[in-house]
Amino acid sequence: MSSVTLSGVRKLYGIHEVIKGIDLAIEDREFVVFVGPSGCGKSTLLRMIAGLEDVDYGSVMIGARDVTELAPARRGVAMVFQNYALYPHMSAYDNLAYGLRRAGMTAAEVDRRVRDASAMLQITELLGRRPKAMSGGQRQRVAIGRAIVRQPEVFLFDEPLSNLDAALRVEMRTQIARLHHDLQATMIFVTHDQVEAMTLADRIVVLNGGRIEQVGTPREVYHRPANLFVAGFIGSPAINLLKAEVLERDGRALRLRLAGEVECLLPGLWPGVRGGARVTLGLRPERLRPDSGAGPLLSGVVTLAEHLGGETILHLDGPQGRLTVKTPGESPQGIGDRVEVAMDLAEAILFDEGGQRID
Amino acid sequence: MTAPPLAARRKPPRKTLARIVYHAVMLTVSAIFLLPFYWMVISAFKNNAEIFARPMLWFPDPIRWENVADLFTRPDFPFLQQFLNSCFYAGMVAVGTCLSCSLAAYSFGCLRWRGRNFVFGLTICALLIPPIVTFLPVFLGWSKLGLKDSYWPLIAPYFLGDAFYIFMLRQFFLGVPRELMDAARLDGASEFRIWWQIVLPQVKSALVIVGLFAFVYTWHEFFTPLIYLQNREDFPLSVGLFTFRSQRAAEWSMAMMGATFTALPLLVLFLFTQRFFRQGLATKGF
Repeated sequence: MSSVTLSGVRKLYGIHEVIKGIDLAIEDREFVVFVGPSGCGKSTLLRMIAGLEDVDYGSVMIGARDVTELAPARRGVAMVFQNYALYPHMSAYDNLAYGLRRAGMTAAEVDRRVRDASAMLQITELLGRRPKAMSGGQRQRVAIGRAIVRQPEVFLFDEPLSNLDAALRVEMRTQIARLHHDLQATMIFVTHDQVEAMTLADRIVVLNGGRIEQVGTPREVYHRPANLFVAGFIGSPAINLLKAEVLERDGRALRLRLAGEVECLLPGLWPGVRGGARVTLGLRPERLRPDSGAGPLLSGVVTLAEHLGGETILHLDGPQGRLTVKTPGESPQGIGDRVEVAMDLAEAILFDEGGQRID
Repeated sequence: MTAPPLAARRKPPRKTLARIVYHAVMLTVSAIFLLPFYWMVISAFKNNAEIFARPMLWFPDPIRWENVADLFTRPDFPFLQQFLNSCFYAGMVAVGTCLSCSLAAYSFGCLRWRGRNFVFGLTICALLIPPIVTFLPVFLGWSKLGLKDSYWPLIAPYFLGDAFYIFMLRQFFLGVPRELMDAARLDGASEFRIWWQIVLPQVKSALVIVGLFAFVYTWHEFFTPLIYLQNREDFPLSVGLFTFRSQRAAEWSMAMMGATFTALPLLVLFLFTQRFFRQGLATKGF
């Protein structure tokens, strides 16, 4: 297995720059997830690592080798595609064996590797079938098998779970996590699904407009987002972003005024924040609690109540704008009810006028 | 819930009438199209007197089977040789068209290279040039090469592509998922191998259609072999049959027998490949 290092990587389509200078070091055996909105360049970046897209500027290193100009097959990577990309006219066995045969392996070695990988993924009984005779989950397992048999240095996954139903997604997610644990391989996974990113990743790379917004562990990007974009993108339901004005420093806290003349004390030293500064207060939905009595209160009218069984998500419309509240268990409030919620400011995140996090 | 009684499930009379009219129209149209073909076949088994007999004989009586033997043994009409020439000519053109056009279409549809769209546009522009315009310079070129009286000028150009079929195949190639080719590249396949082993199997029906169209078109091709070929033994059937008709204008039964055997391979070919025709029509409207 190997590390992956991207240095000043840029990609242009005509005059449009889609990857705008990426510097990233992925450690050996690390599971890194690229997340970002559609068109942010995450799949393009993955394809550049695979060698399926040219690198216009910069370099890609896998281990100690500069692979920028190498053909895909010579980079030591294997890729799992969103639509599986299994060869429709070949059996599962031939799909797995195709790359090994191209590499000039003996029939015995090909057979051994195919049998080993299919046993690991429990697809042995599928080996004689063509892709059209398989379910989505089975196809995906065969596609993963095709990557495993090559014993690559780096596994690349391009939204591999997007075409699966919810239950199968969870199952495959678990399988990929187990695979990473068993193979101890370097894996790069592209997704727009935050749950996949948060559950699978050692580190998350948040991309936007061809640039990296933040690289960090799932806990870091969730609890300490670098900027408003990351804060808004990571977390479902999305973070509450409240416009505020700093009134004064009050001991070891800041006194803030929110819309609707609500005042609150934000604990912490916050060096560099002056009175009169306009800031944005970020509060995760679980940090707003209906009627808990602890902390300053916000109020709003319920516009939507999502009862998910284990928790309830309330969408409120109030003087501070739209608020999202996540409460454990069933909530008695329904559409049209006026609700008061308390802010738990211990985990609040503060952003300056430019949208950068203030520490 | 119980099933409705049988009488209630019968189609209403208006729908039945519509179906009868529909089938009557279809049968009439089919008969109109089939009549010349039927006339050709029955005439092949008559003699001249029976062909022009009035009232018309709708079935040959007696059936003159000796006409078949006569067709294959006449010294002044090397039918079998010309039949084989036609098979060779049409077969090679079909193979050449499929190979060259699918390679070009793969390049235009599946590979990215600078100037691709411009070159593709130029290729399509070639469709606008009437073949007769380029005929003379091409003829002079082959003459200079000393290959005039051979099948080279008839077959070789089809190994260099045909704008219409390139365009047609490119449309099919655009429908092949790009990820399949990417997966093959990661598996270490060369572009040539990807074209041959991965992409062509996905457009099999389109390829068969192109091959069939090229075969049928060439089977009927008259002008080009007439100009380039000199010897009767080298003629394909299209020219051979015409030459025979010109020289033996009175022998209608022999001409009809020749025409019947000329049409027969195409009929058999269509019977075995109509599935691909249907697929082609259903997928891309060709």
